Amino acid sequence: MQIKKGLDIPLSGAPKPEIIDLPESSTVAVYQEYEGLKAKVRVKEGDTVKQGSVLFINKKQPDLCFCSPVAGTVKAIEYGPRRALYRVIIEGGSKNEEESFPSYTPDQLRGVSRADILKSLLASGLLGLIRQRPFSRIADPDVTPKSIFVNGMNTAPFSPDLHVAVQGREKEFQAGLNAMTRLTDGDVHLCIARDASAPSKAVTEAAHVNIHTFAGPHPSGNSSVHIHHIDPMEPTDQVWVVKGVDLIRIGELLIAGRYPDTQLFTLAGPGVKEEARGYYRARIGTPLEAVLKDRLQDGEQRIVSGNVLAGAAVKADEHVRFAESALTVIPEGREQYFMGWLAPGINKFSVSRAYLSGWFGHKRKWDLTTSLNGSYRSMVLTGLYDKYVPMNIMVDYLVRAVLAHDTDEAIRLGILGTDPEDFALCSFVCPSKMDICGVIKQGLEEIEKEGI
Amino acid sequence: MKFLLKQLHKNKHLFEPGGKLEILYPLYEAQETFMFTPADTAKGPPHVRDGLDLKRTMITVILALIPPTLFGIYNAGHQYNVVNQVPDATFMMHVIQGLILVMPIILVSYIVGGLLEVAFCIIRKHEINEGFLVTGLLFPLTLPPTIPLWQVAVGIAFGVVIGKEIFGGTGFNVLNPALTGRAFLFFAYPVQISGDQVWTKVADSAHVIEGFTGATPLAVAAAAPAGTHVVETLREAGFTLSSMAGGLMGGSIAETAVIPSLIGAVILIAMGIGAWRIMVGGVIGVALCAFALNLLPADQFSPFTQLPFHYHMVMGSVVFGLVYMATDPVSAAATQRGKWIYGIMIGILIVLIRVANPAYAEGVMLAILFMNVMAPMIDHYVVEAHIRNRKAYIKSRKVSHA
Repeated sequence: MQIKKGLDIPLSGAPKPEIIDLPESSTVAVYQEYEGLKAKVRVKEGDTVKQGSVLFINKKQPDLCFCSPVAGTVKAIEYGPRRALYRVIIEGGSKNEEESFPSYTPDQLRGVSRADILKSLLASGLLGLIRQRPFSRIADPDVTPKSIFVNGMNTAPFSPDLHVAVQGREKEFQAGLNAMTRLTDGDVHLCIARDASAPSKAVTEAAHVNIHTFAGPHPSGNSSVHIHHIDPMEPTDQVWVVKGVDLIRIGELLIAGRYPDTQLFTLAGPGVKEEARGYYRARIGTPLEAVLKDRLQDGEQRIVSGNVLAGAAVKADEHVRFAESALTVIPEGREQYFMGWLAPGINKFSVSRAYLSGWFGHKRKWDLTTSLNGSYRSMVLTGLYDKYVPMNIMVDYLVRAVLAHDTDEAIRLGILGTDPEDFALCSFVCPSKMDICGVIKQGLEEIEKEGI
Repeated sequence: MKFLLKQLHKNKHLFEPGGKLEILYPLYEAQETFMFTPADTAKGPPHVRDGLDLKRTMITVILALIPPTLFGIYNAGHQYNVVNQVPDATFMMHVIQGLILVMPIILVSYIVGGLLEVAFCIIRKHEINEGFLVTGLLFPLTLPPTIPLWQVAVGIAFGVVIGKEIFGGTGFNVLNPALTGRAFLFFAYPVQISGDQVWTKVADSAHVIEGFTGATPLAVAAAAPAGTHVVETLREAGFTLSSMAGGLMGGSIAETAVIPSLIGAVILIAMGIGAWRIMVGGVIGVALCAFALNLLPADQFSPFTQLPFHYHMVMGSVVFGLVYMATDPVSAAATQRGKWIYGIMIGILIVLIRVANPAYAEGVMLAILFMNVMAPMIDHYVVEAHIRNRKAYIKSRKVSHA
């Protein structure tokens, strides 16, 4: 499938495709990182836990447990605003005790019942890696999705390349795919990039799934785009979405029967020293300090958990998140330039041809910063956003419908088939600096609250 | 520059919440971001943003407005010097005379409109939108150079307040503010903005050049006696296709700036800021309507109906209006298909008003304002069609799976 609309953000600092194992960290933290989830803590400070022991559960779905990646003692339980769980900090002990989960061979997984697979995913919390559309919440085990989309590509800068991540884990990846085929009555779609630089056969020749190739600029790698072009959703449909790299972890759990305590992520961006840009494997919840120390450029940097288009800014005293597989670091852009609106714009990236870089700057990579490059203004230009959303969606009108709280109209305009991240490029190019992702997020939340 | 920035920041606390001059924050913001790029960072996601902001967008429109503005100034001075038979008038004298005639109008527009804009921003507590820089220049360019300055003030005030601010400010207005102001003057004070005598300033009617009537090509064409050939009538009055395209004749300040406006169009389209669909749609509309009228039997209708399409294009403010007025993104249709319909309808209406309505010599302003009002309806139907198309698409994919 060739996608035409969109834009590859020319961010510098791509990771080298080599995996570096970080030393095991003794202190780790598990975050409540799921929006809309109310957690109930199952441990007390000072409790001894094993690797894979339950730390907290989902209040609404008590079978869904979130586990400790390491054996040790609970050092602290911290709460955020409104007494919502923020994180649980575990101090690793000397003994490496672990909870055991059922283990299967990859072939067995083709015959295991849906309930058994879900049981493992719920008990380990790895179900948290599978998201349900609409609304991008954790998949509801009581719902049988009409299809499952495995995202084997990523066009946002920078996330792990599945072809790199799968090396040495081919068996786990296929096991994960096998498990997915049991969770839906429909098809499992594996969407991969057409032109991968070093393709792995485990991906391009994966068994028991429908393989689709996509080419074109970002967001051709977003699951919403895949769903839209392969099996578009009606408002009442439910589809599950999972990242290929996360499927490896799911496969690991199901084959080994032990909690997969490590996490693969990329460390990249112009704020990372050149030699440190790469793939890292570390224990879940490793302090960011251990990851970032001596690896960042000088100056004030913003650390983003995830990619720059969809991730969240985190502080340096936080930890590697369970469900994110990228750390992107870019400089904070607070510097003020004299009469910037008059400058020809040869050293400021813009897709707009109102700057010289819009004519000549598309080939090179740019050290983009967090600068807003302007200030908030009323929405004036029209028709610009549609160029960056390769789905049958009129973005201007969708945004207007949400701002007017007209949820029916928003549904008719296709909001349910999208995720806020699909509109990141719209926010990127907007000259009025509108927060389009935030608007879509608000619209989805409103609809979720009201019910469809 | 560091020093200047420091001085700015030294006083910033006065304008921030809790400061003594908190109420004037929009003014501070406008001033600081005029001199320096803002220090704001993206709250994210996304954490990176494109270099283009609204300031730059509007500056680009101003840049595109410079050619017709300069031409308008020169032309006003040139007309004055020719009509009043100023001896040995040189290029520089035309320019200086033009500046004397036009600059006060532009200044009054900017000052009165600007003050109102700032006042509304302070009351509403939002930033000053750069869009006014465009409105404040567009408005005077649509006026005759002889307009009394108090009318300029009243017109821009009406345009800013009634045309824009009562709808909620920039981005919410239904009508193009500059044209709203002009339409107000047109209907409230028709003597100073229509007829034959307002387009060129006459210093002393006893010393005007021989044969000067002041009539514009549109007035000449509309008054062509039955049975004559309209192109001939125009030629006899001194208006050929090339002279009208050249634009050295009486009219509103930038009305006759056909070629400079085309240069502006090239700038707007090349920079990706002007809606080319509206401009091209407008030309198609003018052509469609002109060709249709040409088909009418010449002996039963006024000779004006026989005016060829390319004459319509260079007469009056068709090019200026299509390039700068119809493309105002806020008051135009917002959907891509809607922009085509909107542009074509404007073109059709321009010619129809010109030819069919004897009360108005020029139809551009009214055509655009009328379609401003219609634009939301056009968009509504385009969006409805889009929703049906979405449904059909999802359905078709389902069938192919079965």
